[in-house]
Amino acid sequence: MRATTISDLARPSLAKDVRLQIDSTTGKSVLLYPEGIVELNETAHEILSRCDGRTLGEIVRKLAEEYEANSNALAADVRDTLSDLQQRKLIEFK
Amino acid sequence: MTVPRPYALLAEITYRCPLHCPYCSNPVGASLRRPQGDGELTTEEWQRVIREAAALGVLQIGFSGGEPLTRRDLAELIRAAREAKLYTNLITSGIGLDDDCVRALRDAGLDSIQLSFQSDESSLADEIAGARAHERKLDIAAKIRAAGIPLSLNFVIHRRNIDRLPQMIDLTETLGAERVELANVQFYGWAFRNRAALLPTRKQVDRARDIATAAKARLAGKIDIFYVLPDYYDTRPKPCLNGWGQRYLTVNPTGDVLPCPTASSAIPDLRFENVRSHALDWIWRDSQSFNRFRGTEWMPEPCRSCPQKEIDFGGCRCQAALLTGNAANTDPVCEFSPNRAIVDGVLRNTNSSNDNAGDWTYRQNPKPELTPV
Repeated sequence: MRATTISDLARPSLAKDVRLQIDSTTGKSVLLYPEGIVELNETAHEILSRCDGRTLGEIVRKLAEEYEANSNALAADVRDTLSDLQQRKLIEFK
Repeated sequence: MTVPRPYALLAEITYRCPLHCPYCSNPVGASLRRPQGDGELTTEEWQRVIREAAALGVLQIGFSGGEPLTRRDLAELIRAAREAKLYTNLITSGIGLDDDCVRALRDAGLDSIQLSFQSDESSLADEIAGARAHERKLDIAAKIRAAGIPLSLNFVIHRRNIDRLPQMIDLTETLGAERVELANVQFYGWAFRNRAALLPTRKQVDRARDIATAAKARLAGKIDIFYVLPDYYDTRPKPCLNGWGQRYLTVNPTGDVLPCPTASSAIPDLRFENVRSHALDWIWRDSQSFNRFRGTEWMPEPCRSCPQKEIDFGGCRCQAALLTGNAANTDPVCEFSPNRAIVDGVLRNTNSSNDNAGDWTYRQNPKPELTPV
């Protein structure tokens, strides 16, 4: 899905065969999936740790509140990150 | 040299297998040298290896073989891996998986199953497997999905089945798999012995690449397609293992620890250590075998002065050994290798003959559990 076409009402969640875990060697977040490991940057970690059934709009509002950030700029970042992960089948939208 | 931590362990828990695929990467003759059961690590030994691997930094384990389902303690091993917080993937032909077994594996915490197929329909698939297996695999895929275990498919692609790539992708969609690996055969083990019968033609390879690229775009976000290139047709070598002793380790059925599963048979002059006599940590960090090709110091020219050396790591040590007789040579797939003519000669033979590529030799087992077709 292209980033701009993701609805505010979409509910992102990890794909069925993906696990989010802390790598105890580095302390960083990783996504684990069959024969693959992706180390998450801080942005992706902050977004994914809030993908718990909330809508994209709710996730953006929550992040904007916590980081006192401009929600339009933030929404674009969140959409880009989620779109990239969705293309790689690491997350899905419900 | 700073030694990196490993990320993934391939646990080859047995060489026994009900199938006889002629492209198997297992060492030729290994299963015959080590008869059924004898010498395989015990449940307790594997549990210790799993804990030691997790302590070293490993995050992911693939249970493979042979056919891992031939071991009755598979669920126990999966449980040990989950207790060590490892992501657990079962790499299997599916043969032997019934409803009870699927449930037991799920309840043990299995994260994913990668099911192999030989083609998209039974006549060719069963001929390749040397066993009546395809219809059973379809049934098993449905059982896996019904139990709620995420499913990936794996197809090894070669001269006899590469033209059916579109149908293989269709089957992946039909079976509801999350991912599919379309892996052009790599020439190690039985595949190296059967290379003349397995190596596709340039025309086949070009068509397959276009089909895979188009399918990847069409199915993005729906099915993850991982297409493994046929490296003989490339001009630069694959970054094998992301470098020797950098990210991966394999423990074979009898406990030898290998930088990659094919190293013990492809590189006979290298001595590999065993988990029965050494701690995994020592083998990974300090053993001669893991340090032999670690980093870039070992490299000869043209690798040593090549700007690509941190990108492809000189290619594959096993391939260098199998094709040139010296594992320390540049992978002869590389266009800068003084031995590239070896690969070109093989390609010329494959692409100049109009004849049938010939027969293959089926992978053998000490005690075949299914009657070959």
